[in-house]
Amino acid sequence: MLWLCIQLPKLPLEALTRAHRAGDSTPLAVAQSSLIIEANQAANSHNVEPGLSIATACAYCADLQLLERDAEREEQLLQQLAQWAYSFTPVVSPRSAEREHNQPDNHFACLYLEISGCLKAHHGLRPLLQQLGKELRKMRISHFMGLGHSPSAAHLLSQLPEHRQWLAETKHAPTPQQWRQWISFAPSKLLDCNHKAIAKLYASGIKRVSQLLAIPLSEVGSRFGRNFISYLAQLNGTRPDPVPSFEPPAEFHNELFFPSPLDNSEQLLFPAGRLIRELCRQLQRRQLYSQQLCWVLDYGSRGQQQLNVEVSRPLLDPQRLIALTKLQFERVELKEPVQALTLKCQQLQPIENQNLREDFFDEGSKLNESYQLIDKLKARLGHQALSGVTLKESYLPEQAWQNADSLTLQSKARSHHLTPVRAPRPNWLLPRPDRIQQRDHKLFYDGELHLLQGPERIDGYWWQHRRHARDYYIARGSHGSLYWVFQDLTSENWFLHGVYS
Amino acid sequence: MNSAENFLQNKQLAKQANNEPAPPSQEQAQPLQQLLTRPDIWQLASGHGRSRTGISTGYRGLDAMLTGHGWPRAASTELLIDKAGIGEMSLILPALAELTRQGQMVILVNPPLIPYAPALVQAGVQLEKLLVLHPRGQRDQLWAAEQSLQSGACGVLVQWQGKETPADKDLRRLQVAARDGDCLHVHFRPGSCVKTPSPAALRLQLKSDGEQLALHLFKQLNGKSGQRVHLARNPDLVRRDQPLH
Repeated sequence: MLWLCIQLPKLPLEALTRAHRAGDSTPLAVAQSSLIIEANQAANSHNVEPGLSIATACAYCADLQLLERDAEREEQLLQQLAQWAYSFTPVVSPRSAEREHNQPDNHFACLYLEISGCLKAHHGLRPLLQQLGKELRKMRISHFMGLGHSPSAAHLLSQLPEHRQWLAETKHAPTPQQWRQWISFAPSKLLDCNHKAIAKLYASGIKRVSQLLAIPLSEVGSRFGRNFISYLAQLNGTRPDPVPSFEPPAEFHNELFFPSPLDNSEQLLFPAGRLIRELCRQLQRRQLYSQQLCWVLDYGSRGQQQLNVEVSRPLLDPQRLIALTKLQFERVELKEPVQALTLKCQQLQPIENQNLREDFFDEGSKLNESYQLIDKLKARLGHQALSGVTLKESYLPEQAWQNADSLTLQSKARSHHLTPVRAPRPNWLLPRPDRIQQRDHKLFYDGELHLLQGPERIDGYWWQHRRHARDYYIARGSHGSLYWVFQDLTSENWFLHGVYS
Repeated sequence: MNSAENFLQNKQLAKQANNEPAPPSQEQAQPLQQLLTRPDIWQLASGHGRSRTGISTGYRGLDAMLTGHGWPRAASTELLIDKAGIGEMSLILPALAELTRQGQMVILVNPPLIPYAPALVQAGVQLEKLLVLHPRGQRDQLWAAEQSLQSGACGVLVQWQGKETPADKDLRRLQVAARDGDCLHVHFRPGSCVKTPSPAALRLQLKSDGEQLALHLFKQLNGKSGQRVHLARNPDLVRRDQPLH
């Protein structure tokens, strides 16, 4: 077992400021219960540091922008990072930050990754660590790492500067002796236990872990309790060290929060592109695709607005998805400034081999082009503006057809084929039959109608709502148009039902 | 646009002639050959031997009248019609059916009534290839038509003009889009548009003479215009039954 612990010291700040563009130089600080918890670099240069009170910090830096800490958003970001880590190894465990009251630096949020299984796939330890570091930097997440034979050891060692330096240069995993050396060398304040226990350790003169390990365990147990002993055993590797394993959720949900609300839909495209790229990366790694992107524009207290982008084929190309999203956003008029943008994909489906095969060999590009066209039309015109038509089995003319979902447009002919009746039918059907004027045994619809053929009787359906008994005729209008008309046998009224165009 | 292109090309030719006072005879022949291969130059002499370049309409009389012996490919065709029901869909249905059989997509933009599936199947149209669009408003309609024409994914786009008359520049854009996407564009417009000029490659006026569909060819790129042809309706429809009493 080889555990990697990635500590995320600036998560409270990053959860709130990720949506900002890089190179933003306003001094920012995150505050909780009148203490500064985290500050960005611009604020640091004004001596604003974690642990200061708000009043002091404002005195140091007059134009300091203060943000309230948002634990929920931090948790979301941590879950996202766990999902990101999941693409490297299947054994991932996120651990959220615990902060005791008025104690600014206690435990940062961190991720545990079991990496012994994925070393080969990434060509060894060093390339893997470099890749992890590169992607984290790209996401603008500050971090430091530690390696250990158990999660608690990795956590302890990640705080040891000597170990971090070794990790930056190493090519191979260390031997068990090396680990034991580092652990015993570590100062006892790095132990993962509460402040009281650490104060007690220092009071009894135990400054290094080696001193602690030299004392018989029963002695330690009577002073520090049972939990402390099992923690030490876990650190040594003599006792298993279980951590809750992360399960990737069945849906994608990601949110960007804008500290200064956006009031222009064009400005939304930049954060939207970022969310889509994250989605695509994740989908690609898990070999899934989504048929719908659901965007939620959050207007804060004034409600929210939802936009759907439909995708008819498995599509993992971020540029295309961004183009589709852009079509939707162009139509939106923002009612209020947007405070947060959320991307949700609820039904992720596995990409099947069959779909891929079609792409490569089956009339390929032509089909792809038509899918792209349909997606584009859908994005701009809305779902309801597109339809197809199919046959339906029914004697009633108005029920012999139905709207087809345009998604099934390109599918191959189904095994079951309906054949329509072999009587002349009109090309156009009226949405509902139109009443024909009747005077002196003559029919008038935009001029006098002359019956040419008929009747074709359609009778039945008395078991449904009401009896449909009609005599259909083909009639010619005064301008030469051919109409499909019928006489309702129950009411003896005449109706126009179709046009032979 | 074609006249403008012609003008430009002529100008270029003139420039070339000026710059090179004594060009060899071979090179001089080349621009002429290039000119002759241009589709928008009408050659009366060789017109008879030309093979079919268009999409067959399914009506022999009409095919004979059209230069490509069929609907012009990659161009706009305007059908001017005032009264529905005189056989205007039957006129284009054979071509639509043939294209869907070849696996091309057919898009109907803004049809006035419901396209009735049983009749379309009877005419041989593959319904899986048929897409019906109902965009809201003139702008969306033009946008959808242009995108579909350009995409290259669609074989025929049949469009019905809404309440507003599209501007000349919009019609021109549709014509260019049809050319780029190699798509047959059929545009149904009211008869009142006859007088306004249009960039369409083919303009036909559709009327009924009581029994038959009467076509009047108004404009044809590279071909004669002014002919009239009468097409009989499907005999199954116009057969007159003996009165019952």
